[in-house]
Amino acid sequence: MSTPEAASEPLIRLTGVSRRYEVGGGTVTALADVDLSIGAGEFVVVLGPSGSGKTTLLNLVGALDVPSDGTIEIAGRAITGAGHPDLFRFRRETVSFVFQSFNLFPTLTALENVQFAIDVTRRRDHVRAAEILDRVGLGDRLGHFPGQLSGGEQQRVAIARALATGNPVLLADEPTGELDFRTGVQILELLHEQTHAGTTVLIVTHNREIARVADRVIELSSGHVVADGLPPGGQVPIAELHW
Amino acid sequence: MSEPRGRRGLWLRWSWRDLRKRWPQVAAIAAIIALGSGIYSGFVSSSQWRRVSYDASYRQLAMYDLHVGLSQGSYVDASALTDAIRSIPSADRLQAVEPRLVGKTQVDASTADQTILVPGRIVGVDVGRDGPHVDRIAAETGRGLQPTDAGTDRAVLEYHFADFYGLAPAGTVHISGDRALRYVGQGLSPEYFMVRGDQGSLLAESNYAVLFVPLDTAGTLLGRPGQANDAVIRLRAGSDRAAIAAEVRTALTTAFPGVGFDVTRRGQDSIRRILYSDIAGDERLYNILALLTLLGASFAAFNLAGRMVEAQRREIGIGMALGVTPRKLAVRPLLVGAQIAALGAVLGVTVGLVVSWLMAGVLRSFFPLPVWEFPFQWGIFLRGAALGLVLPFLAVGWPVLRAVRVTPLEAIRTGANAPTHVSALARVPLPGRALDQMPVRNVLRTPRRTALTALGIGAAITVFVGVVGMLDSFTVTIDRTRTEILRGSPRRLDVSLDGFTTTGGSTVTAIAAAPGVAAVDTNLRVGGRLEHDGTRIDTLLTVLALDASQWKPTLDHRVDPDGRPGIVISAKAARDLGVAPGDIITLRHPRVTGPASFEYVRTPVRVIATSPLPTRFTAFMDTPDAAIMGLTGITNALEVEPKPGTSTAAVRRTLFEQPGVSSVQPVRSFTDSVSDALARFQSILTIIEGIVLLLALLIAFNSASINADERRRDHATMFAFGLPTRRVLRMAVIESALVGVLGTVIGVIGGLALLNWLITVQFASTFPDLGVVVSLSPRTVLIAAGLGIVAVSVAPLLGARRIRRMDIPSTLRVVE
Repeated sequence: MSTPEAASEPLIRLTGVSRRYEVGGGTVTALADVDLSIGAGEFVVVLGPSGSGKTTLLNLVGALDVPSDGTIEIAGRAITGAGHPDLFRFRRETVSFVFQSFNLFPTLTALENVQFAIDVTRRRDHVRAAEILDRVGLGDRLGHFPGQLSGGEQQRVAIARALATGNPVLLADEPTGELDFRTGVQILELLHEQTHAGTTVLIVTHNREIARVADRVIELSSGHVVADGLPPGGQVPIAELHW
Repeated sequence: MSEPRGRRGLWLRWSWRDLRKRWPQVAAIAAIIALGSGIYSGFVSSSQWRRVSYDASYRQLAMYDLHVGLSQGSYVDASALTDAIRSIPSADRLQAVEPRLVGKTQVDASTADQTILVPGRIVGVDVGRDGPHVDRIAAETGRGLQPTDAGTDRAVLEYHFADFYGLAPAGTVHISGDRALRYVGQGLSPEYFMVRGDQGSLLAESNYAVLFVPLDTAGTLLGRPGQANDAVIRLRAGSDRAAIAAEVRTALTTAFPGVGFDVTRRGQDSIRRILYSDIAGDERLYNILALLTLLGASFAAFNLAGRMVEAQRREIGIGMALGVTPRKLAVRPLLVGAQIAALGAVLGVTVGLVVSWLMAGVLRSFFPLPVWEFPFQWGIFLRGAALGLVLPFLAVGWPVLRAVRVTPLEAIRTGANAPTHVSALARVPLPGRALDQMPVRNVLRTPRRTALTALGIGAAITVFVGVVGMLDSFTVTIDRTRTEILRGSPRRLDVSLDGFTTTGGSTVTAIAAAPGVAAVDTNLRVGGRLEHDGTRIDTLLTVLALDASQWKPTLDHRVDPDGRPGIVISAKAARDLGVAPGDIITLRHPRVTGPASFEYVRTPVRVIATSPLPTRFTAFMDTPDAAIMGLTGITNALEVEPKPGTSTAAVRRTLFEQPGVSSVQPVRSFTDSVSDALARFQSILTIIEGIVLLLALLIAFNSASINADERRRDHATMFAFGLPTRRVLRMAVIESALVGVLGTVIGVIGGLALLNWLITVQFASTFPDLGVVVSLSPRTVLIAAGLGIVAVSVAPLLGARRIRRMDIPSTLRVVE
């Protein structure tokens, strides 16, 4: 478990970050002047209701979006002001994603979906997609297509795909949103395990129950950070969750 | 607004928004529909114009109802000929009878800038009482012949020839014997609406000149004063042409025993027949082109509709859950289909008008006529618009009907529970890395869309290969003909004499002794007819020393002589007659009966070989067999070999001035004139290449943008993992190329089939005298591959901007 401020240099640092959108002749502020530091190996949950800015925060950390103000540094690299090629490279080398709707490639098998991530990042350590899938409990489903897998199995494949990149930051957007409780718990366990290897896991959710297992909860409301620290009532093991 | 009106407006507004959301694909499909509908309207209209204009032109120039032609070498008194015709029992049905004198000549129309020395014809016509009144001559420049021109050196030059060389509206030409004629105008006449050379070549205006002169002038020029060998007859309306033709034949046989006659009806005129049957043939081709294009549009519309309803699957399911009937749910996508079809049909009218306008110019330029009429073809344009409206709308209907038949539950499911429509084909194991497999997998994941896109591209390529392949086939045929004709002695000159003469006579001797002449072969050239089992083929028979001339025809499948007269016919003639070497056929040929008279007789002859020449009317006999015509030791055509180092032009000029010579031309002039005619169609080819390119691009673009739309979440995921845009585009290009390869293969196969039909059925029925070899050049295949693969591969790049500017976060969260 880590303290809110990492003892060593933070892996993720946001300084004065804001994000505004022009919508229908007016301006919507999705994020307002956010300062954050997240260390390596932390299991962080970004909590908030719909429209609080949590997904915007995730997109900014993942370099899928650019801030209107402020700076973002990830693993020592400033990504604000970076050009498109640099942002693409950043995503290949630094972050990986797990989505609510899994977003697997329907015409690739489970094995091939994971192989895709290895191919994109051009990992040279001869990691094998089959081993990763085995680690997530799908060693016997390598040749199945997404349409032949359950929701939970699809999300496992998505996690395996994210892990296959070997990148230090894993971003998950409502990873249990389309799953039942038991399957959702399994997914959380899998995600939490990755922190043991030093991966920083950032989960965005509106589910307060999930926040109870985090090392740190960052709560957003109307684009502002309204809380940043241990889960209210203390951190609990995943097995004690119920929703 | 009342509630029902508001609801109707809602569906329209909703479908309009659907349309705007997919405007690039809608525009592409509408453009294809417009092309197909416009091609149909524009081209088929032009066919109607030709029909109407030919009718009007023949009517205006009073083309003959009956034509009387004496056998080659026969002449009779012109007045006696007219009197004999007027003596028939049905003389009251005769509106006009005019004798003519027709003879071969050489025409020197050289100008300061160019040497123009071509074979030609003098046609002496009756200019009395402001004639001719049958087969009139319409002056396109200058003036026509007048009664005061009788006996003078004035003439009217045939317009096609004059126009080809850009000659002055009036001027002077020289004919055989270096005699000058002043042409007072350039004219069109029904029998020369398309120019045919003496050796049968069509579109021969670059190599054949016709001069219309008063009848008595022709008599002087041809050494046949007061004589005629031809007559044209107009009958009163409602006359029985066949019956009167029989009466005329009887009357002439009685009046001129020993003279052969051909009495033919207007419908048997070869040029007229070609012109009209060409219209029907072209119309069939235009229908095919339009249909193929509209099929391409229908396939594209089908793909778009399929994609649209797939994207609206949840909305359809929600509608069902709310109790909306399937019929009502179908309204929205059907409205989009109807709007696309309507847009295409309206644009098609514009395209049709443009095509019509272009075709009008092409027709006037390629087919000069005294009367061109371009009445707007309402019926055709309405039909074109209807086709453009109905076919794509029907294509949209099918996927829509399928979509509204799913259960609400299936329609509403999303995410993991969404029904995935990945075909079994997409699950076929493939070698290579996941990234490398994706283009192939994507092609296989939607087999119906892939197939329809490939078929659409294939339709475009089929059009290209079929049409351009025709020119390839003509070119190969002409090249093979040229190879055969020029074999062994490419500088030979073909000399036509102005009548029959003895092979050792002064005319031949003088020619052989002319400066620049190395050797002379004497031949005989007569018209005849091959007959077998009811099939008749007109022939131009050349009698020569088959084994001893400077040039000997290639003899295929030669059989040994058996004492009977032998004939070499073209392979095409053999096929059409259903005979092979060794078989007996009947040759209808002239036989001399007097100093200036020949009768037609029929002689059984044995086919001793076939010739590879593609012209069906070509036939050869050995010199001794001239005996069947009574022409042993007689010649009317020579082949002259120029001395080495002497130019053929100089020898031509020398021989042109020789008495007894009617024309001198290089033996290659037949193929050269056809090549000239083909070259004029090059501009049309370029237009067709452009249309096919546009069509293939539109179809491929439509499919590529549907694919990009369907896979945007996949693309967003790839971008989220850091895959560069160029890599994603490369995958799309490869995918498009794969479909392009498939489409090109389909198109080339379809094109070959179309080409084969065009040549062996269509062209063969319109121009039966030419046996064209079906052939496709490597250049055409390469261009087809270029259009079908390269151009199609590029199509996804047209949507590159949209992909680059994708809102990745929003797209990642899209749930259909």
